[in-house]
Order: sequence, then structure tokens, then C-alpha cells
Amino acid sequence: MTITLIEESFATHTDGLSVLETKQIRPITGIVEIEDLTSSSDGMSDLEVTSEELNDEELQYTSGSIPKLQFRKDTSKARWNAEMGMAKVIEKNGKMWITIGIVRRGKLYCTIEETLFLAEIGAHHLLDVGDTTLFLKDLYEKVAEGKSGCCWETFKVYRHLKSLGYIVGRYGVPWTMKSNNGCNSALQGTTKTSAVSDIYLPNSKFRKSPPGDPSFMLYVTRAYPPSRNEIEELERKCNGIPLKFSHVDHG
Amino acid sequence: MGPRWKGKDSEARALAEPMSEIVQQLQSCLIHSKTRGLLLGCSVLLGAGADCMDLLIRACFGQPIITAEKDKQWFELSLEESFYLFHSLRCLEIAGEDKRLKNEDEIWQYIISKKPAFPYFYKAYSHLRDKNWVVRSGFQYGVDFVAYHYHPALVHSEYAILVLSEGSDDVNGRLNVWSDLKCMVRLCGSVVKTLLVLRINRSDGYLAVSPLCLEKCNVEEYTITRWNPEQCREEKTINKRTGVCRMVSRACNNNAKMRVGDVKYQEEIAQDNGQRHNADPEEEKEKLEKLKF
Repeated sequence: MTITLIEESFATHTDGLSVLETKQIRPITGIVEIEDLTSSSDGMSDLEVTSEELNDEELQYTSGSIPKLQFRKDTSKARWNAEMGMAKVIEKNGKMWITIGIVRRGKLYCTIEETLFLAEIGAHHLLDVGDTTLFLKDLYEKVAEGKSGCCWETFKVYRHLKSLGYIVGRYGVPWTMKSNNGCNSALQGTTKTSAVSDIYLPNSKFRKSPPGDPSFMLYVTRAYPPSRNEIEELERKCNGIPLKFSHVDHG
Repeated sequence: MGPRWKGKDSEARALAEPMSEIVQQLQSCLIHSKTRGLLLGCSVLLGAGADCMDLLIRACFGQPIITAEKDKQWFELSLEESFYLFHSLRCLEIAGEDKRLKNEDEIWQYIISKKPAFPYFYKAYSHLRDKNWVVRSGFQYGVDFVAYHYHPALVHSEYAILVLSEGSDDVNGRLNVWSDLKCMVRLCGSVVKTLLVLRINRSDGYLAVSPLCLEKCNVEEYTITRWNPEQCREEKTINKRTGVCRMVSRACNNNAKMRVGDVKYQEEIAQDNGQRHNADPEEEKEKLEKLKF
């Protein structure tokens, strides 16, 4: 087994995410494969890396330079359900719903990470049970509570990939479910924290039914790189779909 | 190696507005606005008004989160940054998931549960911040921190920092083999930084159960650089000539426009070196004092 280290370039600011991928060892050469997905290469010749360093350091913001998000006129509306740990969409506007939200009995729900992502970009207005508006502060507090199946690190990975156009779903949570059977258990599964996600490449023709196999699966690691046993166990669960590991740095 | 400023005016701007003053203004602003942070995983989030936002950016604490919210700017701070504002500067309150403000011990216990080696990293972080260095994560370079002489928008970072602890329970497991040392020195050379090791030594009575343990350890600093005997044989002209030779040969290998016989380029280098040597000694001394740990 070889481990391939892939450095991602960051769209907005340095979240400090890096992604590892496992691949089968090549029978002929047995060489560890190093893949570079970014334009700023990691192959360190003395003068070249100075420009890479510039790219990294230029992402520091100065006062007044924080980018503003584009104003959205198509905002949706959703109501948070604390028991389910999800928001039920009341008014659906915009094309983002092709790749966000799960459908149960004809109704659209979104997970905490989807809800928070949409709230951060101003794409939907979130209400509480009593129709009071929920702000970002309230959503961050819900993530901190840890009862909605997503921790802060997992959300950061979600936000980073969604911002780049990837389609992200929770492992083991179907995009649609028409029958009533198993519906409740599927929704209950959303309150347990899972570190694994199904990731699809950006695709304007994505359909929730059927979505097809994900392009790869992603596991958000904790403080240490995954052990060989962990990698093998996860690969078994993936059933042949490529697996990547991500690590979130803080600061 | 001194600070590498970005642009002509950067150094003057830094001297006109020292980092210590900006941090002091930030401290007052946060106290006045009673800003509180929220513990979230291994980060602390805080929503800042316009005044504090400006100072947080200028003092380089946290990363702004880009959101559509208009009246507040959200920042994500590392555990070291937020604990520095809370514990050393006493200007930030921190709440947990229950929305209740946490006291110092509760915050400490939370942080230790997430990051057991936190006392060492925090000691190193606060040690540098107290001396007005801007300290950021060094993750991209495979080190613990990078240190800037001033705001990263105006200057490149000078030091890549590794935090080591004494004894067999070294928290980081770094620099224990030559290959790691070689790797780090080569990397630092390539990104024009000096490898700085901060060794945290514990004295008697050290227990990680409370922040008081921070007073029971001290910091030992040393840099690791590569010495190339080929380039240091002539003592007299060591700065001028070898500096020129090294830079010209590098330019020669990597840039087709520069040639060894390029007189104009050589003159520019010599002038630049001359400037360093002809600088006002008092001014230089002052600068060196500021750079010292």
C-alpha cells in the first residue's frame, strides 16, 4: 500500500487542509507516488519555492481587504428541528438544492453542515420553532453542542469542498428515500457524528435519485495520521471506492 | 538573516506603528466591547464589531471567516491565540457549548483534553508574542509555528519554529533522527527561513492540571543552520564576496537572463551589501535589540 500526499490550493484563505489518498502499490516499480494537484509545486528548488511561499503568505488579510460575498436575491427559508438535528426547508429557491439536502417523504431537509454553509453564504433564512430568526451565532453554538452529527472540523472540510464545487453527502445517509419504512431510522442516523463523507466531483447534471457511486470517500482524521489498521478497516467499508483522508490544522 | 520586508515602505510603517501598540489597542477594544469567544472543536470563534475587527487583523490574531453577516465579522482563533487573549492579556471571555462563560480551570481542562501537549506549545507561543513577534501556524512548512517580525502582509516570516520538550517524553517527536533534521534544514533554506528550536524545560512542581504549570517551565532558544565549509574559507570578505558568489551562481543556474559576467547585477549586489555595512551603527544596534529574544 502506498500513501499519496496531495496538497490542495486554497480558494479563499489557508484553512490548513491537506488530503491523503491510499492507492495500491505498483507491482513493477514499488515506488511511492507523489502527485501534485496544484500549480504551485512542492518540488523544492531554491528559487522556485520563494514564489510558493509568497502565494501562501499573500493570503493574509489586511484591514478592509476581507472579500464580501455577492448579494443573493434567491434566498430560501428553513425551520430548524432540534429533535432531528436538521432543518426542514419551507421555501426552496435557487439551484443549490440540486446538490444540497436530503428528500424524505417528499420533503426536503438539510443537515447542520448544509444549514450552516447556506447561512454563512446568505443563501437561506433560518427560523426556530417559534419563528424567531436563527443567526450564525446560534448555528455555531449548535455545532458546539455536538448533537447534530457534525463537529467543527468536519464542517470546515465540508465548507472547503462545497466552496470548490464538490458535492458532499454524509456516508450512509441516502439522498432520497420514498418509502416510509426505515425513514425514521435514516433520519436518526443524522444526529450521530460520522467522520466519513461521500464526495462527488462538481457536476451540473447531478441527480439525487440515483446519484451513482461517489467519486471518492473522505475521512476526517483527528490529531494523528491514520494507523494501518484504521486505513484497512475504512477501505473495507468503501467497497472499492477511492478513499482520501483529510487533516484540519488550526491557526 | 534580518527581516525581509515586502515593498519599500513596509519597514517604515512597522517602525511608525509598533506591534506592541496595536496589541495594546486590541486589548482595550476587546475589554470595552466585552467580546466573548465560543469554544468549538480545537478553535475559538468570535464575532467582532468594526473596531475590534480592524485591530484583530492588524495584530494578526485569528483568521476571518467570510460570511454574509453584515453587522459582525467572525474570526476563528487557534487555541494558543485565544488562550493568549484570555490568560495573558485578560481581554477575552470564552463560553462553552452550554453558552455559559467558562473560568480559567474549565477552559484549561477543555483545551488539555483536545490537545494534551498544549502547555508546551502555548509556552512557546506566548514567549514569542510577549516579545512582539507575530506567531502563526507553521503547518504548511511542517513546523509548529512561523514567526514574523511584523504583520505578514508587510514582511516574510523569518523563523520556522519547532517546539521540543526535554526528556524521553518529548511531545513532538521531532529532530530525533538525522534525516528529520536534514529535511527541516533543507526545507527552511528553501523557503528562506531559519529553523528555530524552542525547548521547553520543566522545573520541579510542574503539573499540567492547571495554567500555573506555565510558570514552572522556561524556554531555551537555539537556531539550527547549515554551515557550508566551501563558502566560508575566506574570513575577510565572507559577507561580500561569498554572498555575491552564492547569489550569482544561483541566478546563473535558475534564471537565463542573469549571467556570471553580468556587471550590472554584480554591482547591485555589491551596493546592497555595502549598504548593510555602512548603516548607522546606532540604528543597527536598535534594530538588533528589537530582534533579540
